[in-house]
Amino acid sequence: MSFGVDRSIDLRHDAEPMTVVSHRPSPIAWLIAPAVLLFVLFFVLPFGVMAVMSVYSGNPVTNPNAFLTTRHYERFIFDTAGIFHDSLWATLRIGLVTTVVSLLIGYPLAHWMARMQSRLGHALALMAVIAPLLTGIVVRTFAWMTILQDKGVINTTLIGLGLIQKPLPLMYNEFGTVVALVHIYVPFMVLTLIGVIGRIDERLEQAARSLGAGRLRAFVEVTLPLSLPGILAGSLLVFALAISAYVTPSLMGGTDVLTLPMLIAQQVGTSFNPNFAGALGVILLAVCLVIVIAYNRILAQLSGEQLA
Amino acid sequence: MISRRSMLRTGASLAAAATVGTPAISHAQTKTLKITTWGGKWGDIMKATVLPVFEKEFKCTVSADQAFPFMPKLQASAKNDPLYDVFHTNSNEQWSALTEGLVMDKFTTKEVPNVADVHPWSVSDKIVGVAIFTSAIGLGYRTDKGLTPPKSWKDLADPKLAGARGGYLIPVNSLGQCHLMMLGKVYGKGLQDLDAAYKALEQLKPIKLVDFTGQMEKMLLSGEVSEGVIHDSGVYRYEGQNQPVDFASPSEGVMALEQVLNVPPGSKVKELAYAYIDYMLRPDVQKLLAEGVWYSPANKKVKLDAKYDAKLLTRPEKVATLIQPDWKWYNARKDDIDARVTKILKG
Repeated sequence: MSFGVDRSIDLRHDAEPMTVVSHRPSPIAWLIAPAVLLFVLFFVLPFGVMAVMSVYSGNPVTNPNAFLTTRHYERFIFDTAGIFHDSLWATLRIGLVTTVVSLLIGYPLAHWMARMQSRLGHALALMAVIAPLLTGIVVRTFAWMTILQDKGVINTTLIGLGLIQKPLPLMYNEFGTVVALVHIYVPFMVLTLIGVIGRIDERLEQAARSLGAGRLRAFVEVTLPLSLPGILAGSLLVFALAISAYVTPSLMGGTDVLTLPMLIAQQVGTSFNPNFAGALGVILLAVCLVIVIAYNRILAQLSGEQLA
Repeated sequence: MISRRSMLRTGASLAAAATVGTPAISHAQTKTLKITTWGGKWGDIMKATVLPVFEKEFKCTVSADQAFPFMPKLQASAKNDPLYDVFHTNSNEQWSALTEGLVMDKFTTKEVPNVADVHPWSVSDKIVGVAIFTSAIGLGYRTDKGLTPPKSWKDLADPKLAGARGGYLIPVNSLGQCHLMMLGKVYGKGLQDLDAAYKALEQLKPIKLVDFTGQMEKMLLSGEVSEGVIHDSGVYRYEGQNQPVDFASPSEGVMALEQVLNVPPGSKVKELAYAYIDYMLRPDVQKLLAEGVWYSPANKKVKLDAKYDAKLLTRPEKVATLIQPDWKWYNARKDDIDARVTKILKG
């Protein structure tokens, strides 16, 4: 692996000055080495193992009779069971809705915090945003269960007030799942956006307004395009987290929600078929990469056009 | 529920028995026995009493893994150097492990002498390895909702229970899988009548489904569910806590939820593993755990205190109500069943 090169000048009197290339890694390159190592150890290697498992009939390390096969991918593609494609679509749908709702909630909050003059106010708001992250996902999901279930806070209150006769279906469906996921992932969106919006020069918006633009137009034509990199980063982060969520859809979704991570867990934990689980993992990653690349390009294009 | 004092007393007697010594494996010395085991109250009793006494008696260290699921971890380890020396799971997983050659089939009395004293269900042809306890899967219900105590599995389909009945996500929970097979028996020709079972399952909608028994206990205790499928110990363990819940054994029989021990063939400490299984089948150990977590013991010689004896499956007429599913048959078609029930219960 190469970590970069040092370029130096040869200053010998009897020679023409010339550039020589040193193969010593730069000190800065060494600093990123741990990160690269972590990436290789905890992403590339496990993913490689998963990809290899997905094309075998069993575990080739422990089972000498395991053979190469495409049957796991065929099982997904032909979907004779009729649940895998639905599951993929449900995963993407939940990821998309969670991302959009997180953005709609997170953007105004991040904008408000980034423009806040009071340092104390900013610190308090930041604490409020970060506070949910200090509690585990399982605990937060159980908290949502006590709020949304049939005998939960909302339904009990509404029935007690005589506003409804039967409990509202707030849980064991996609609605409950998205609500809990948004609560968990909004801080990631806000924290990503604050940095980007905070770096936008306020005078640009003021200049637009001084030239006659209204508050809304100045926002739409100046601030929003300049914050697109933050929207892109925040959206990708939340989308990636939401489509890979397992605990929350499992607890909040009931029978209405079956996402690919849930199917993968089923295959590993109760059907004991890590090979098919590996194939599902590869498929999920491939589909997501396609979506992320497309989203990246569209937003980059949009950003370029706006700036132009 | 078992008291701290009685637990200490039993622990002391177990320790005293340990000083007498056992012949099976005196040469074990400081070997490490790697086992799987449950957490919760079971795990507390194991850690506080059962395992320390075993370690002292057999001069070994026991390394207990409580992080479920165990089977994928066993699958990932080498067959000639398995992650576990004693594999404790429910019966369905043992059959999957046997299919992959990860555990042994049966034990003889030479390997595990106490097998000579167990109930027939503990070593039946539906069991791989040896079952050390069983629970009865039946119906748990709220006693404060004016419900007639259920007498039949069909009572769960009572229209009054719409939205207030509870079951399990069948692909991930063996109680749900047992319930599905029982629907085949109650509404069709037998446990393997899947068409009748699917049809009956459809009639149970709307039903609240959970993926583990602890969640069902919580739903029953909170009143989120008025009646649901659960094992007897999941209800009896709240006895004396003034909770409005009770357990009913339906007339068609109760399904068995066995606690099974087995040994991977590649274990390096096989003799010690056999000794552990034999130890877990001893009457004093069986009594301690049975009364601690309300499990029905496998050893016929166990004499439980009256309140446990009255409710658990100890007498022949009660043992006769226990139905053991054919997990080999079920596991062979699990993928198809999973897909079918997922579609039935969606929405």
